[in-house]
Amino acid sequence: MIQDFINIINDYWLLLLIGQYPNGPLGGLANTLILSALAIALAFPVSILMALARLSKWRLLRWPVTGLVYVTRGVPLLMLILWCYFVIPLWTGADVPSFLIMLVTLVIYQGAFLSEVVRAGIVSLGQGQMDAAKALGHGHMSAMRFVILPQALYNMIPSMISTFVSTIKDTTLGYVINVPDLTFAASQVNNQLLTQPFQVFLILAVVYYILCWSLTYVANSIERRITRRRAGPRNARLPAEAAPLKTITEQL
Amino acid sequence: MSTSVSEPKAATAIRIADVCKNYGDYQVLKNINAEVARGEVVVICGPSGSGKSTLIRTVNRLEEINSGGISFEGQNIHAPMRGSELNKLRSRIGFVFQSFNLFPHLSVVDNVSMSPIRVKGVSADVAHDKALKLLDRVGLADKANSYPGQLSGGQQQRVAIARALAMEPPVMLFDEPTSALDPEMVGEVLSVMKSLAAEGMTMLCVTHEMGFARDVADRIWFIDAGEILETAPPEDFFKNPRHPRAQRFLADLRH
Ligand SMILES: Nc1ncnc2c1ncn2[C@@H]1O[C@H](COP(=O)(O)OP(=O)(O)O)[C@@H](O)[C@H]1O
Ligand SMILES: [Mg+2]
Repeated sequence: MIQDFINIINDYWLLLLIGQYPNGPLGGLANTLILSALAIALAFPVSILMALARLSKWRLLRWPVTGLVYVTRGVPLLMLILWCYFVIPLWTGADVPSFLIMLVTLVIYQGAFLSEVVRAGIVSLGQGQMDAAKALGHGHMSAMRFVILPQALYNMIPSMISTFVSTIKDTTLGYVINVPDLTFAASQVNNQLLTQPFQVFLILAVVYYILCWSLTYVANSIERRITRRRAGPRNARLPAEAAPLKTITEQL
Repeated sequence: MSTSVSEPKAATAIRIADVCKNYGDYQVLKNINAEVARGEVVVICGPSGSGKSTLIRTVNRLEEINSGGISFEGQNIHAPMRGSELNKLRSRIGFVFQSFNLFPHLSVVDNVSMSPIRVKGVSADVAHDKALKLLDRVGLADKANSYPGQLSGGQQQRVAIARALAMEPPVMLFDEPTSALDPEMVGEVLSVMKSLAAEGMTMLCVTHEMGFARDVADRIWFIDAGEILETAPPEDFFKNPRHPRAQRFLADLRH
């Protein structure tokens, strides 16, 4: 049994790591990580824009984005993936690679989730910070940039890492549209071996587990450090208000 | 100081004319008329919920009004105007909050120098030096690199005053600057305010510190239920309050 695992890893580690590359497209674990990292890197600014739009006084900005967030949070990710898979090529008229479709889907999906975290972070700061900035002559955007967002985003760091973890798990769904990621590579291995699905998919699970667990560990230790920094004589209210952020994180 | 050719240098710093404000059906400010002269120190007092905060927040338009106008430097601050114009006017009116509202993510010196840099475009070096001087003036030069969370309430409020002064406003507004402080810290904040008054700053202060009002104010506005019922120099106000509600307010304070 143990020998099976060693043999599989010995024979297929390169495929699991980088897919068919350089003879085919990059895949495997590398692609999973690239897809997740790109998704979160793009979802982050998107989420800030969405949060600002949802807090905007202009209805034309607020309503559509609010609608998008509600819809996105209300449908399963798999629906969204299939939807983009069929709709994006229709709209663009081009043959869009599945990697790109998956990326767009993840950015919308995680952007919508993160925007709720950003919004909660902004709202939890209270009116006082905005008032103080305005009284000093800052406009709305200047106050956001120099006073509100630096605080709200700092509070968000643990949520960001948690979102990264859930993004890694979500990339597995790319399997249904043939995104060449780690899951895809594992199923290729399984197709070649045919007789050892348990061993193959256990290796897959262990890799995902190690990846996600170590990131979660980092997130938790950062969260503890932030809570400790906040727990000084400063604003005894802050630890209590960090709580909703964590709750949102855990829903992801 | 700004001088304009078309307008003679007015002795009035702030003129509040026929200001009314409602929250829904509830009228918070009822036809307020009042003036603050240049260099004058006015103390607003009155029972809690009477509209003091609302009134002082309309002066730099943190609150909108329903009718009337408030002129500052010859401009109606509640007139329709571009955002950038309003920001510029606001930057010339210092505001000190009851709850300090320092920026917790910035060090003390950055709290003071940030807005001159970002709003007025002062160079970082100049703003930093200026901030250190102001911190020295409020007795906190040694706390320049601390964070607000490491300071006592009294120290935070003094930083907040320095932060407002950094924009070099000709007028300062204070909304109960000592009400959130432990009693032993009230004095240090009041003495900073006293020294400002002594230097000729125009000040409009909401406060319950009647000792400060007696010593420093040129005039008291007594406000109750959204109306200014009495304006008088402090000696008259404390000795012979004319309005029955002012008499009752002072009697309650002495108990
Ligand atoms: N945002 C608001 N919405 C509705 N009512 C308000 C609001 N802010 C203040 N009020 C009411 O207006 C009145 C005056 O409040 P305020 O100006 O804070 O009084 P003061 O500062 O004199 O204690 C109070 O009755 C208060 O409940
Ligand atoms: Mg008040």
